[in-house]
Amino acid sequence: MAPFVYSTLIISLGLGTAMTFASTHWYLAWMGIEINTLAIIPLMTQNHNPRAIEATTKYFFAQATASATLLFAAVSNAFLTGGWDILQINHPLTSTLTTLALAMKIGLAPLHSWMPEVMQGLSLLTGLILSTWQKLAPFCLIYQIQPDNPNVFITLGLLSVIVGGWGGFNQVQLRKILAYSSIAHLGWMILILPFSPPLTLLTLFTYLMMTFSLFSSFMLVRTTHINSLSISWAKIPTLTASVPLILLSLGGLPPLTGFLPKWLILQELTKQDLAPIATLAALSSLFSLYFYLRLSYTMTLTMPPNNPAGTLPWRLNPQHNTLPLALTTTTTIFLLPATPTILALFTF
Amino acid sequence: MQLIAKLIKMNLIAKLTFNQALTQMGYRRPGQPREDKPPWWRVKFDFSKGLKGMKRHFTLLKEEFFAQFVGPMGKPIIEHMLEQNQVLWEFRGPHSLQEWTISCDREIGGKSEVYLKVGRNNETCLLYGTLCSDPPKDGETRYSGYCTMRAKQPLASFDRKRYHDWSSFNTLHLRIRGDGRPWMINVIAETYYTHQKDDMYSYFLYTRGGPYWQDVKIPFSKFFLAHRGRVQDDQHELWLDKINAIGFTLGDKADGPFQLEIDFIGVCKDYAHTEDFAYEKYKRNPEV
Repeated sequence: MAPFVYSTLIISLGLGTAMTFASTHWYLAWMGIEINTLAIIPLMTQNHNPRAIEATTKYFFAQATASATLLFAAVSNAFLTGGWDILQINHPLTSTLTTLALAMKIGLAPLHSWMPEVMQGLSLLTGLILSTWQKLAPFCLIYQIQPDNPNVFITLGLLSVIVGGWGGFNQVQLRKILAYSSIAHLGWMILILPFSPPLTLLTLFTYLMMTFSLFSSFMLVRTTHINSLSISWAKIPTLTASVPLILLSLGGLPPLTGFLPKWLILQELTKQDLAPIATLAALSSLFSLYFYLRLSYTMTLTMPPNNPAGTLPWRLNPQHNTLPLALTTTTTIFLLPATPTILALFTF
Repeated sequence: MQLIAKLIKMNLIAKLTFNQALTQMGYRRPGQPREDKPPWWRVKFDFSKGLKGMKRHFTLLKEEFFAQFVGPMGKPIIEHMLEQNQVLWEFRGPHSLQEWTISCDREIGGKSEVYLKVGRNNETCLLYGTLCSDPPKDGETRYSGYCTMRAKQPLASFDRKRYHDWSSFNTLHLRIRGDGRPWMINVIAETYYTHQKDDMYSYFLYTRGGPYWQDVKIPFSKFFLAHRGRVQDDQHELWLDKINAIGFTLGDKADGPFQLEIDFIGVCKDYAHTEDFAYEKYKRNPEV
């Protein structure tokens, strides 16, 4: 893609998210989200192959439907309450409609069907933008909705955790696995939102760090299928040691950073007398842990000292800048001891 | 009731419900008038057939459900990790021919013939027939003379489409015995839009002839995109995660008998082959 066009699209992505962050009016927030959607469409169709075009079309349909629903909810709220302020979405109907529209935007179950197919058709870099940056603007709006009844959020959250774990069970394509992982993590974020919004933010930021480091690792070894992980030890041996830790952090195992949000969410849910929901969420995350462990097993635990699975690929110098990967991997693995500091940062 | 029966007999209901302009079912041979019967006219409604169908579909559904506990797509993960070869179609009896469809230009009024039978000792399949490139005399068709054999789309329970996932592999491996004619191998991948339904990825298969078998290995990077037989400018590599079918076509304009014997069709992973795509991808807006 021409550098001028590419930089325009990247700046538009930033502009859209920034507009949504800075807005108090529903219309401006909606515009920011639309700019985001339209800016990523050409990035998705950079490669002219049918799977990418299919992914772009499905993404556009899902996002356009959600945007239309969101605008309808905002207009209905203005009609019913007389205000366009984002914080004043008080009517139960419009609040629920907005929540569902934003849930479809980010890919929460049961509105998640577009996500795995879309991720499968994209390159790893575009998939990374979709999984991380594109979640920020809708989350900013979800964060500001103050629901009277938390049942919608609990239902969406639980369903997402279960579907995200169950869906990834049967996958061998890494991008689809990451899509289901994203759905599961979003479920955890939404689950705790009515009770402790700062914990949602904390979970979001840890998820962004972990996903960024995993995507970057896969980009570095240029692998999109589970079987090519088994020979990736010959390309960059250091990653063979760090990627399982990133995966286990995504799975929420102590003493890694990923344990922090899950621990605090389960604690908060228990404090809110929602122990059965907490138990169900914790058990459902075992499904996700299973396929993370499967990836770790493929990549690291099957590294043979002799009898490799195939001829070794050439070990070339990495073309990408590895500093962001190094930073995010460090934060993904080693941040748990800094829990009090992080909590102080988020509970403002 | 008598009036309704009369209407049915007079085909009035058929004409009222059947909109000729909207239906696209079936192939209309050029020069022939359009068929005036509704699509459901040809269906045979039978209760026992329905029961057998339900039993088959629910059995398939049960197998699919329990297969995911074995591993992704019913195979253990260790198999996904280590597999380097997989035989997809091997012709070991008459039942293996059920997975294939044959066709030739007889459907459009031509004079070719094609047959498929099991080879000697139930070890192979033999595609044979006669090619005739005389076009049908219908005033429309200018070229003729082809015959083809294509695998049927695999179906899951309740006739849902199932796809072959060849993303662990990068080479097509065939063991064939031909008669020296050049064939075309077509791989049909899953598409999304209606205008892509005739998209096909093709490559040539030159047979050697004689009594000796050929082991043919064609990397998937060599397959080029064609639409209705026309090679496209905007080329891209074949995505192997959703493959519908594979086919063989003969259209070398050499009239006369032909035969192609196939032992097996499989896929393999050649680690020495690192090419992504063999052809230049057409860039309409070059980078400034």
